[in-house]
Amino acid sequence: MMIPYGQRITPDPRTTRSRGLMRPRPVGRIVRIGVAALLALWFALPVVPLLIWSVANRWSFPSPLPTEWGFDGLAQALAQGGVPAFGRSILLGLAVAAIATPLGALAARALTFGRVPAPRLVSGILLAPLALPAFVAVMGLTIVLLRARVPATIAVLLLLVAAALPYTVYTMRVAYAAHDIAFEEEARTLGASRAHVLARVHLPLVAPGLARAAFLAFLVGWSDYVVTVLVGGGTLVTLPLLVGAFAAGVGNDAVVAVLSVSAIIPPLLLLLALGRFGRRYAGGRLAAPTPSRSPKGSP
Amino acid sequence: MLPIPGPGAAIARARPRASAARDRWMALAFVAPALLIAGFVVVGGIGMSVIQSVGLLPLVGEAEFSLDAYVANGDELLTGLALSLGIATASTVLSCVIGLAAAIIITQGRTTGRVVAALSALTIPIPHLVGAASIGLLIADSGLIPRLFGIPSAVWPDLVGGPWWVAVVLEYTWKESAFVALVVAGVLATRVARYDETAALLGASRARRLRHVVIPLATPAVIVSAIIIFVYTLGSYEVAWLLGRPYPEPLPVLAFRLFTSITLTSRPEAAAVAVVTTLVSLLVVAIGMAMLRRTPLWK
Amino acid sequence: MSASLALDALTKTFDGADHAAVDAVSFSVAPGECLAILGPSGSGKSTVLRSIAGLDVPSSGRILVDGADVAGLAPERRGMAMVFQRPLLFPHLSVLDNVAFAATVAGQSKREARADATQFLELVQLAGFGSRPVTALSGGQEQRVALARALAARPRVLLLDEPFSALDPELRSDMHALLAAIRAQVAPTVVMVTHDRDEAAIVADRVALLKRGRLLQHDVVERLYTRPVSLDVSRLMGGRIELAGVVRDGVHESAIGRVAAPAGETWADGAGVLVVRQEAVQVAAAGASAPEGFVAVDVVVAERRARGPRAELALALTDQAADAPAGSVDGPRLTAEVPASRPLAIGERATALIPRSACTVVAG
Repeated sequence: MMIPYGQRITPDPRTTRSRGLMRPRPVGRIVRIGVAALLALWFALPVVPLLIWSVANRWSFPSPLPTEWGFDGLAQALAQGGVPAFGRSILLGLAVAAIATPLGALAARALTFGRVPAPRLVSGILLAPLALPAFVAVMGLTIVLLRARVPATIAVLLLLVAAALPYTVYTMRVAYAAHDIAFEEEARTLGASRAHVLARVHLPLVAPGLARAAFLAFLVGWSDYVVTVLVGGGTLVTLPLLVGAFAAGVGNDAVVAVLSVSAIIPPLLLLLALGRFGRRYAGGRLAAPTPSRSPKGSP
Repeated sequence: MLPIPGPGAAIARARPRASAARDRWMALAFVAPALLIAGFVVVGGIGMSVIQSVGLLPLVGEAEFSLDAYVANGDELLTGLALSLGIATASTVLSCVIGLAAAIIITQGRTTGRVVAALSALTIPIPHLVGAASIGLLIADSGLIPRLFGIPSAVWPDLVGGPWWVAVVLEYTWKESAFVALVVAGVLATRVARYDETAALLGASRARRLRHVVIPLATPAVIVSAIIIFVYTLGSYEVAWLLGRPYPEPLPVLAFRLFTSITLTSRPEAAAVAVVTTLVSLLVVAIGMAMLRRTPLWK
Repeated sequence: MSASLALDALTKTFDGADHAAVDAVSFSVAPGECLAILGPSGSGKSTVLRSIAGLDVPSSGRILVDGADVAGLAPERRGMAMVFQRPLLFPHLSVLDNVAFAATVAGQSKREARADATQFLELVQLAGFGSRPVTALSGGQEQRVALARALAARPRVLLLDEPFSALDPELRSDMHALLAAIRAQVAPTVVMVTHDRDEAAIVADRVALLKRGRLLQHDVVERLYTRPVSLDVSRLMGGRIELAGVVRDGVHESAIGRVAAPAGETWADGAGVLVVRQEAVQVAAAGASAPEGFVAVDVVVAERRARGPRAELALALTDQAADAPAGSVDGPRLTAEVPASRPLAIGERATALIPRSACTVVAG
């Protein structure tokens, strides 16, 4: 068999000349930086008016900057029950996370390592709330929950936990897929009891996954509007309900901005904490040096 | 040697079988709580919506099967369906394109990538309702952008509450493009990086690698994100309510209005809208899964 | 198309690392030659390969291909192709399209690219596998396809990063034979990283031995075994015999007596360790006299370890064994390999015959 190894069949663009010293193409670099700048603007710009409005008392129309700076918006937000609404939102988010995270972790562990009957059907049902619009579940179940005399707060919690389960199950399945059960078996052979294995080996190893899952579940409770408003029927006033009430009216821009900013800050802080936790955790525990974090070619 | 059936052999045989059965029960017990909640909400929500929509569970009076609820608002249902599909399609396509571009910038650029990654990640935990409020403050006729460019309200197009639902699509696209960026960048960084290196060593330029390796390998993640976004935007209420116009109404807004109306017949009508929305969602999930199966990577 | 490759004081220090992962490594590879970079894990051998490929950017030093510096050249423009330990076949392409990849991205038409790829599938003895999905291949087949894909890119230098170490021994020797056949047909310049010295010996013309980022010796395989330049090299190549002593007038004096340098070699005066491969030591009946060119040493068998068809003997020098109880000897020992069938038992006396031509003296 003869292979024309020496010559290419097609003209080779990589001639020896073009192989000499060659910097990365400046055009490509400029395009990349330009696109990146546009994307940065795209993601950041919508938050800007919120930040400005939250410290503006008056901002009459054509002026590009507020005509009067101040904290009227904040004062109004406080007067309209902003603090208790904030507290209720935090509690709702925490409650959803506290229920959906362990349930999701249990289900994910069984699906990853155990012998769950009909595993595809079970995963399908656990992911199904993602495909079901929240208002459908609310409209179908309100009548049932009402007749069973389930308190509105519990009903809201139940529906939000179901909405959060796809996220916690999925996140924990990813975590358990990367989790080597041999660590736990090793601990058992070293004489650790089941409880010890859980506390000293199993939970520490999946802790980053649990933190991610809990964060997502918290977000479901924290951000919800439609379930709280329909099932709660006005008895459970959370931060999004206040934002919605003021945003629907006219001339409330400052108070909407203050409430909105206060609705952004807690999850942002959690996100930063999560990133920090993940890094410290990965750095401290699994200090695997990865020398091949390769730059892509061009220096 | 003759096999002698003795008690020892029986125990030896019985033990693995007993432990297999125990494993199965344990796995079921682990999955059960999450499964019951998700199953109750999904199956109960859909089932009860169907039952109410065909008149079998009226608030007062006799239960009687009828399809009146589907016919009563026939025109509104159809226009609402068309409108919802339009909004969801536009938001999904734009989110995927922008999100994919962001994911590629995130994984290829160094500093620029980090900036885009941070800004898109910070967008994720912002509640949609807050996003709607910010988009309103940004592009309404008295928003930040017309102020910055000094465009009078009379000339500025009706982006908020206008005929083309621009603000609604923009809000969805803003939030969901960050979601796509997060998901796809994760896949690119973990699973695609080595293939990208291999392709580079085989002589593929950056543009060729993008076309022949990176985008094909990212496709499944993009499809999964697209399904989630489409279903979410189809069934989401608060953004369309806040940034849309009073008529025509997208399906969730229509259902919400009927559900909270005081007319006795409106509950079944709201349930009918919910059932239609669910059917469309399930259809979209089925189409999406079929597309996913047709990608060559699907195992 | 095969090119020469030269490394000039290549150094790579990773961010935050105390010392260099690769420290001033220089060697050259002639066109069509196969060089094995050999070293224990953490010796920096993969970093050398990744730097050549352009996947890691060296901290300093030059990489020359056909005499031209490739610094700043993106990996895809270097004309290298690399086969990793994992085959990394593109999962969205068929076997044939994987092999045709380089031609496709070079702008060739699909038909031409596939026709070209077919030849390379034949070269790796996988004719007819082209239309299969890559998931339908066994481990050995996957690695063959990866090799075909790399060759089809007509690399100026073919880089192999432990390509066969995930395969079982039988498949591995098949792959060694295949690589030899490929070299005979298309003579690519090959640089291969391995931690397996037998593999390096089978596959490569020359070996660059690395330890902790430093190049210990770059030589033909045989000389790495018989003429190590240092004790480190001797040990990394599996040498077991080390006899400390002193060289006076070109003659080494140690517990086994005086050994003169073989013809053509000169040993510098001063302290030095005599090393000799255990495979070269012959074991004769006690009292045998040394033939021309051999040194005879009276020994007693101190230990015997089974090595499959062969047995490895630890031989204590007789004059020491006489005044110490058996097993507690910690003086210099010789090691020899004999066929497993030879009935040399522990405690038996014998004469070890060491060929002078196999001896080398290295610094202690």
